[in-house]
Amino acid sequence: MDIKQRLKSMLQEAEIYRSQGLISEAYGKYKAAADFVNSIENLKNKQSLLNAISDKISALDDTQKKVDKGPTSPELSKKAQDLIKNLFSFSENVDEDSAALEGAVALAKFGQFDRAINDLTELLPKEGIRVEAAKNILRCHLTTNSTEEAVNIYHQWHSEDLFQPNQLELVRVYLSDALQNKGLDIPLPSPVGADDSAAPKSEPSVQAAQESEEEFLDITSIGITFESGPRKGKMVEFDVNFQSGNMLSLIISKQEQEMVEDLKAGMEVKDIQFYSPIAIFNGAGVVASKTKIKSGPKQGDYCLDIRIKSS
Amino acid sequence: MAIFNLKKRLIECKIVYYGPGRCGKTTNLEYIFAQYKKQVKGEMVSINTEGDRTLFFDFLPMGLGQIRGCDVRVQLYTVPGQVKYSSTRKLVLRGVDGVVFVADSLEVRREKNMASLKDLQANLKEYGKSIFKVPLVMQYNKRDLADQGIPLMPIKLMERDLNRQLKVPSFEGSAVTGKGVGITLKECLKSTLKALQKEFKWAQ
Repeated sequence: MDIKQRLKSMLQEAEIYRSQGLISEAYGKYKAAADFVNSIENLKNKQSLLNAISDKISALDDTQKKVDKGPTSPELSKKAQDLIKNLFSFSENVDEDSAALEGAVALAKFGQFDRAINDLTELLPKEGIRVEAAKNILRCHLTTNSTEEAVNIYHQWHSEDLFQPNQLELVRVYLSDALQNKGLDIPLPSPVGADDSAAPKSEPSVQAAQESEEEFLDITSIGITFESGPRKGKMVEFDVNFQSGNMLSLIISKQEQEMVEDLKAGMEVKDIQFYSPIAIFNGAGVVASKTKIKSGPKQGDYCLDIRIKSS
Repeated sequence: MAIFNLKKRLIECKIVYYGPGRCGKTTNLEYIFAQYKKQVKGEMVSINTEGDRTLFFDFLPMGLGQIRGCDVRVQLYTVPGQVKYSSTRKLVLRGVDGVVFVADSLEVRREKNMASLKDLQANLKEYGKSIFKVPLVMQYNKRDLADQGIPLMPIKLMERDLNRQLKVPSFEGSAVTGKGVGITLKECLKSTLKALQKEFKWAQ
């Protein structure tokens, strides 16, 4: 293949990748084309060719930035929200109230927090799902960093007589623990007349563990935006291999050692995206430890523990 | 999980199109929406973000009419392929009855295909389903790009990469032209309904 044909083929390939939305593949091909042009001495129009390729690469950079900055949970139309509610409530044929709760929780899972709060609030009069609805309302506020609003709503419920004392106590304990995990010590009034047995503190070992599980969402993966190193500004997603409360353990392959070097023990990671089946949310964490695995099938890989600091 | 309403003689099942980002899952659904008007029972809903990338899911409701005395309805979904939307993929996969795995035939996407299939296996496992047991069909998409001189993986290689152990039905496809789209869906419906028939014993 002559030079002209080869270059044409490279640029055509890059253009097709671009049109397919395969940005990094197109980027790689344009870079290869630029290298190829550079390697040929006495090429006619060399500089104008390089300029044209450079323009293409700049355009790809802009597209990549737009994709990276794209919203993870934009506010959807009512029609789309209704569809989510309808499609993601699985108890439809079992129990109407549970289905309604599932639908509202599904909205929260897809980041439609305002509508979720509204729908969950409408479910509060339903005795059987009241506590779950209330916890999910608080969870929505806490996920969107409206801690003050969560506390205000608890006070409002405390001043009303919608909740039975035992129900409100469960909600209080849930909120209190969630606040403590955010490092906030905000006293919440206990409901008058709550039966001691309703309070999780009366069953210290088992109940505490259950509450502790509930305080933290199950995180399936996290996205870390690097602040330094070759991946500065880029978000990389890692699967969570193990979770204990607010501590997440990740196994990072030895092939990605370069990335691990940018995450030192004790370092604060300010921009982490947490992905859970309940919601996607942003927060921060601290690298609690970094260990090289010395034996077994993962020998040479790294185990990274990240403590969730805030969310 | 499919809904089987014995009283109304109605079966509603869920088929999810899975695969790496930009492999053509949404294009498959768009083609079905445009060409199977008789079976399509509503609007196709797409929730996209920058560059027409699927953000949450695409949804297309279909009706297959009466099969052995039962009204069969099918909901087609796609998942967002981008790696960062892993929790959304898992959510959409909940209650799935059949899966179409759309693999990208471009040589440069070889690893992405394998990673996505592994992701599917892991997500199914979380719902207590085995990739070896769930009704699954493969589509090797973008075969048309060979005409433009773009390096594609030979089918043999794709079969070895993705289907060596699964041994599920597989089809060459070009979702933009529609080639292979119908047969892929039909095969997936066939194996899904067969599995549901076995489970619910509705056609006996």
